[in-house]
Amino acid sequence: MGGSSSDKVGEGMMISSADIEVRFGNIVALDQFSVQVPSGIVGLLGPNGAGKSTFIKTVLGLVLPASGTINIAGLDPRKDVLAIRDMVGYMPEHDCLVESMTGLEMVAYFGRLSGMSLEDSIPRSHEVLDFVGLGEERYRLTGTYSTGMKQRVKLAQAIVHDPAILFLDEPTNGMDPVGREEMLELIGRIGASNKSILVSSHILQDMEKVCRHVIIINNGRAVTQGPLQALLDQGEGRIRLKVRGAPSALTSFVAKLRQRFQVTSVSEEFGQMTILLLNREGSGVVMEMAINEGVQVRSYTPDKITLEDVFIRSVKEVV
Amino acid sequence: MGLDPIGYRPWNGKRTQHERRLFIISERIVREKFKSTPLLALFVMGMLLVHFFPLVMYAMWPHAQLTAENMSSYMQGGIFFIFNVLLVSIVCSDLISEDMRSSSIVLYLSRALRPEHYLLGKWLGAMVVICLFTLVPPVAVGLAITATQSGPDYLASLGVVGQTAISGLWTALFLVPVGMLMSALTSKRTYAGVGTFMFFFIMTVISSILQPFSPDWGLLSPQIVLNDTYAVIFGMHLPANTNFALLALMVLVLTVPPMWYVYDRIMRKGVGK
Ligand SMILES: Nc1ncnc2c1ncn2[C@@H]1O[C@H](COP(=O)(O)OP(=O)(O)OP(=O)(O)O)[C@@H](O)[C@H]1O
Ligand SMILES: [Mg+2]
Repeated sequence: MGGSSSDKVGEGMMISSADIEVRFGNIVALDQFSVQVPSGIVGLLGPNGAGKSTFIKTVLGLVLPASGTINIAGLDPRKDVLAIRDMVGYMPEHDCLVESMTGLEMVAYFGRLSGMSLEDSIPRSHEVLDFVGLGEERYRLTGTYSTGMKQRVKLAQAIVHDPAILFLDEPTNGMDPVGREEMLELIGRIGASNKSILVSSHILQDMEKVCRHVIIINNGRAVTQGPLQALLDQGEGRIRLKVRGAPSALTSFVAKLRQRFQVTSVSEEFGQMTILLLNREGSGVVMEMAINEGVQVRSYTPDKITLEDVFIRSVKEVV
Repeated sequence: MGLDPIGYRPWNGKRTQHERRLFIISERIVREKFKSTPLLALFVMGMLLVHFFPLVMYAMWPHAQLTAENMSSYMQGGIFFIFNVLLVSIVCSDLISEDMRSSSIVLYLSRALRPEHYLLGKWLGAMVVICLFTLVPPVAVGLAITATQSGPDYLASLGVVGQTAISGLWTALFLVPVGMLMSALTSKRTYAGVGTFMFFFIMTVISSILQPFSPDWGLLSPQIVLNDTYAVIFGMHLPANTNFALLALMVLVLTVPPMWYVYDRIMRKGVGK
């Protein structure tokens, strides 16, 4: 089952949805939600309440959409729920551990509920617990675990049956910086073995590290989606220019710049002016203008766009 | 903690069938219950107080064969009922409530496991534990009495053993739905346990207060309902003034709506809101 389904997922889109609408009473959690999720590690980004968890639950068939179509690895969650569930693993965002079991018992138990035999489940549980970095604690009741250990066990129960598709809902939640790094490292390692992973998070630095593709959602709508690199490349040619000079010279310099380039922001502090502009022609033209206007160029640096910029811009545009 | 430098390893084993997975839930319930000291204590006490005396009484006394009267009066005993109710209260208390409280129900319902199967697995686990008290010991007692009988009619005795088995199973079938209902109503296992016990207790009290006005009110008591059904199973005569329609209604009311509610609750959790 594992091998064949992952081959199928490998081609084309892992998940695609069109005009999904999910309501909870009066609240519209997903509104005309359309996304194309490719295989590989995909980040689902959005502020609190954006609908990230709701989207994951909808794909899992835990929440029924009022309208729209949804498709995961060629299957419809409304019809083929068991077939889908056999090839997915899910790490929920909140605590969900069985407190009266040890970590090992719990992972083996849920492995069996995902179809493993008793004989297979125990060695496999040790294997995944080693993988997620849970040591001797695995013999303790999960009720006594720290947040970091809980996150590890939650991940372990999601991967114990070796699903082809993994849904991780805020996997780094509540973890310390080292734990977060390790969690991201684990996600990277799982992704390296030909799995598709959809990770939701609002911690952008985390996503920048592991994702190849991101989907930014806000207020129940997918506002931006695309390969991470392409989103970051939108910022190509953005230049941060710092100049000094007489106020009149600066004013006419900015006016000249505006004629030729797209100037996105101008700010002045203690006689130094910071200008953001879009320049794909090289620095020569700008330097020449500066000399002609009698202003002194203090620095000319490409202004790297971050995922945070993309995120904030996408979220603001909708508002 | 720290990570070992090991890569993710796939697993290529064979999966079990979907339908078989519910037994894993039942199996775990049975294991877990017999690790709990209060339950074991209750079990041992119940064995002595409820099952041991009939064994001594009937098996040691000279008898020609096992009679329906013997077994029905044994099972209609008040102490058998009390222990059954205590047992159901304890066994069912955390059945669903604990999964709701810890949200681990999400882990079940997001797997390739139908919500119906989750419920069936839970129910079956509870049934097995309760039958170990309501079915197995009475059958054993019945067999012991049969084995020590002086008369030749073993077939008739075994017939009564069969009726005993049915009564034991029926006891569990009748009592578990209310226990599961309470467990699905609250996410606190204590509330669920106390709730189940109080439900049976209060119904019995109300019925005994109202019974002088009309024997029909007696049927509010789950104990009287159960005892009447034992009489039916053992082929005994019910009191002439028994209202059969009401009896059947009470049996239905105490089993079907509770199970329906639990089913509905889990289905809502499993698919949708
Ligand atoms: N069971 C529910 N009942 C009512 N409203 C709900 C329910 N689940 C989600 N919502 C609402 O749907 C919207 C989206 O919630 P969702 O949990 O998907 O957000 P999220 O993006 O995961 O946020 P967070 O980052 O806080 O986890 C929110 O407005 C939330 O209040
Ligand atoms: Mg969420």
